[in-house]
Amino acid sequence: MTDDADATERSEPIANPSYDDAFDAIVVGAGLAGSAAAVTMADEGLDVLLIERGRYPGAKNVFGGVLYTPTLRELVDVTSAPVERYVAEKRFSMLSDDDETAVSLRPGEWHDPPHNDSYTVLRGEFDRWFAEQAVEAGAVLLTETTVTGLVREDDGRIAGVETDRPDGTITADYVVLAEGGNSLVSEGADLKKPERAENIAVGVKEVLEFPERDGVIRDRFRLSNDAGVSYHYFGEGAVGDAVGGGFIYTNEDTVSVGLAYRLSDAAGSQPKPEQTLNAFKSHPAVAPLLRGARTVEYGAKTIPEGGSESVPELVHDGAVVVGDAAGLVLNNGVHLEGTNMAVESGHLAGEAVADAAERGRTDEAAFRSYPERLEESFVVQNLERYGWLMERVETDRDLIFEELPHALADAGAEYFRMDREPKEKHAEEARERLFETVGGLRGAAKLAYRYRGVLR
Amino acid sequence: MSGAATDRDPAAGDAEDGWTIVAAVKQVPDSDEVGIDPDTGRLDRANAPAVLNAPDRDALEAALSIRDAVGGTVTAITMGPPTATDVLEEAVAMGCDDAALVTDRAFAGSDTWPTSYALAETVDHLDADVVVCGEETTDSSTGQVPPGIAAHNGWAQLTYVEGVDPLPEEGRLAARRDVEGGHERVAADLPVVVAVAYGEFEPRPAGLHRKLYAENDFEPMELTADDLGIDADDVGMDASPTQVGGMETVEPVDREKETVETPAELLDALADEGVIAR
Amino acid sequence: MTDAEAGDAESAPSEVDRAGDVWVFIEEHAGDVMSVSWELLTEGRRLADDLGDDLVALVIGEDVGDVADEAIARGADRVLVADDPVFEPYRADPYGTQFRALVEERIPSIVLIGGTHTGRDFAGRVAVPAHAGLTADVTELDVDEDGQLLARRPAFGGDVLATIVCPEHRPQMATVRAGVFETADPEPEREGDVEAVAVVVEEADALTEVRERDVSDTADITDADRIVAVGGGTEGELGPARALAEALDAELAASRKAVDEGWVDGARQVGQTGKTVRPELYVALGVSGAVQHVEGMNDSEVVVAVNDDPNAPIFEHADYGIVGDLFEVAPRLTTALEGEADPEEVLQ
Repeated sequence: MTDDADATERSEPIANPSYDDAFDAIVVGAGLAGSAAAVTMADEGLDVLLIERGRYPGAKNVFGGVLYTPTLRELVDVTSAPVERYVAEKRFSMLSDDDETAVSLRPGEWHDPPHNDSYTVLRGEFDRWFAEQAVEAGAVLLTETTVTGLVREDDGRIAGVETDRPDGTITADYVVLAEGGNSLVSEGADLKKPERAENIAVGVKEVLEFPERDGVIRDRFRLSNDAGVSYHYFGEGAVGDAVGGGFIYTNEDTVSVGLAYRLSDAAGSQPKPEQTLNAFKSHPAVAPLLRGARTVEYGAKTIPEGGSESVPELVHDGAVVVGDAAGLVLNNGVHLEGTNMAVESGHLAGEAVADAAERGRTDEAAFRSYPERLEESFVVQNLERYGWLMERVETDRDLIFEELPHALADAGAEYFRMDREPKEKHAEEARERLFETVGGLRGAAKLAYRYRGVLR
Repeated sequence: MSGAATDRDPAAGDAEDGWTIVAAVKQVPDSDEVGIDPDTGRLDRANAPAVLNAPDRDALEAALSIRDAVGGTVTAITMGPPTATDVLEEAVAMGCDDAALVTDRAFAGSDTWPTSYALAETVDHLDADVVVCGEETTDSSTGQVPPGIAAHNGWAQLTYVEGVDPLPEEGRLAARRDVEGGHERVAADLPVVVAVAYGEFEPRPAGLHRKLYAENDFEPMELTADDLGIDADDVGMDASPTQVGGMETVEPVDREKETVETPAELLDALADEGVIAR
Repeated sequence: MTDAEAGDAESAPSEVDRAGDVWVFIEEHAGDVMSVSWELLTEGRRLADDLGDDLVALVIGEDVGDVADEAIARGADRVLVADDPVFEPYRADPYGTQFRALVEERIPSIVLIGGTHTGRDFAGRVAVPAHAGLTADVTELDVDEDGQLLARRPAFGGDVLATIVCPEHRPQMATVRAGVFETADPEPEREGDVEAVAVVVEEADALTEVRERDVSDTADITDADRIVAVGGGTEGELGPARALAEALDAELAASRKAVDEGWVDGARQVGQTGKTVRPELYVALGVSGAVQHVEGMNDSEVVVAVNDDPNAPIFEHADYGIVGDLFEVAPRLTTALEGEADPEEVLQ
């Protein structure tokens, strides 16, 4: 027999390992905010533990489909990231039951890198890659482990987390809460109140593929190479009575189709989300785009829509809150953004924690730079700018989601009616039709004025 | 070659209390993740990731429960390429005290004979009192390695085990064995090789700190053919009595594949087939 | 063994040359023979005839004279009997040691053992010291023109059949699950030779001790003409399936999932690691249709599948399929069957 001691020279097994205070920071959740914080802190030389409940990062993450990458590009090499298609067309449609009225934007410059920093991605692949970047920067990733609570010192300082595993408590100086929209840990620890129903949207989404057909996506959506589309739909033809809308995004070989609308609407007289989604997919303007497709994935999530007023306290002694858990989502219909805000907040929080670590401080004041910089960043600026929009839309919901789509479609049909009457007559009737809905010329002007904020 | 039975009295000679338990595990393609291609109805194996053979988790739990009862240590072993250390990490995370990767180019292409031989030499090298294995693997499902290990070493064996009952005062392990039509309670002299039935042991979850340790800081032993005193001629493809002589695609049985809407329709069809009378 | 012989190149024939005869292990417990042993004897008879060799039955147990006689009636030319109290009840090491001694002494060419908990337990104890080739869960057997055994079994995934051969080692051993082969009727007038062999095992050498044994009769689904099989889709609620089985006068069977979950006894498992059945009618309720299951029922004449997933693979292997909730469909079928005026007329 050879001498095993020489042959292997490995470290002796440890009977009772403990990692309490082995890490500087624990990040709860390896989604976009969590991994952004982890990469940032690891780059600054901190020892980071990234804890994810899914089997792998991204397994449990759902989003519509488009990732905006300006901040991401500063943190990691996006050119080697698994992205699907860049957004070459943004299209907005008003749908009534039978009609569609749309505006389409295809700026030539979107075809050139960095493609307006807008890409469709699949979370299972992207989040996995992103967390891997954190690991390469030195972080430790632990999966299939759910954080269930926070560890607090007697003075209330947050000093670690509890998990669902045996011997599942682990302490560290800093905790970054990136647990997502369903923020049970933050709520359980009284760091934030459960969101009110009118401030939560429900999002449902399917990923569809086209079996046995090559190039279907390119053909259907008029694309070449890696170009892709971002289609948004509003009106009763999309989500019926609810306040919200639908979307279609193209991935490389699949298409993401879904809806997002107010939870309070979902709970009320609305049919179940899956039924509403099916109705949307069957709309005459939508169905041809999806013909022959087979559903391969289904996902749902809650989307915080409370805007800047719903953002909880972002800093505490020993902990910071980032991403969807911090309500940092902009969903006003025109703009649907959460992932870029997640990355931004994760990054800024990571820098604040690294800074505090250098000064040896864990009190909340030491993290002040995070909320301050966030407020100056596009994240809070955008949330505040659009805060008014959701209220106004709620007040005008019947007009915007039901009457206006009909009026636009009818007016359009009238304007372009081909019969033997002179065009002047059609123009007049079209105008009448539109004005009777918005309240005449004055009404139209008032409406434009009410919503001027969208363009200001 | 095939080791003679090592005559060891487990009660004497061992300095420490408790038993030396070895759990043999295997890395296999993930049968859960192997989906059915909806177009062809066939398994899509190409993309299946490699995971711990599910019945082996039961084996690990059985091994750990024996250690809980009588004290001692559990060492997980696996025969495979360097990537197989993933399953050893899982074993240590669950609670195994140590682990060894049995790896050597010479082992490649082994059928159950040289595989069980290599593992038999390994458990002998580790001075095992009890060897615990899963009933079978989800990829080959022959169930022949555990009896093979016992046979190479001339040790006792217990297969289809649904419950273990260590009897340290006797130097034996008793077990509840599943047999056709019922059960037996069998007591075996140590050393013994145990194959546990799938689904009878509730695998314990890995502790948080132990999982961190297993995945990031633990280093398994590596045992090569040399370390085990195994001659390369006695393992590998050339030492395997069985070989694959050919592969052919299975002719699918011709089926009508008719969709039927109502029970009445079905019963009519079955009556037409002459399977039932109406 | 092999190495020692190989030294004598000229005078000693190779192991392959010296080997002869087809052996079948007859598994019995307290005098009751497992049906798979008779199935293997029938198949062994066919192989022995192809090879022009003898078919030898191996009986190991206590007071097994009757078993030996029946083996002759069922096709064996000779029976080797090791009769001793040390062999009852079954234990791996005494059986293995005795069998191995006989194998090494008489060098059979082929050895067939039923793939039961007993067969799969001790086969390795023979194959390893004999350096024999052992193929498990064989579904087809043949001999080629050189007299070599071709043992076929599904490769992982089941869409491929692998042929396993054992070119240089003897014996060529195979385990076969119940129901794969069919049994021929016994011929009571058949004659053959029963030989009592020397018992080489002593109680003092035994490594195990059976302290309790609690067995009762098991269902034998391999003979059933009609079968209702339950799968994961039943979620353990077997009422509708049992009712349908009764209305059809069918045996209840199960997929591996249903057995692993503990809903049905293992004796009723159909599949690659269970039994092979070939009824006239096979009704699969809530069975997904994994290839390992289909392997065990593909010889059924008419297959009916009920599953709420239209993409379930079982539909590819069924003659008639109903996409629907089995908890609705099965009772309706049962009612429709029971509604016939005279139950005798319903079933041929």
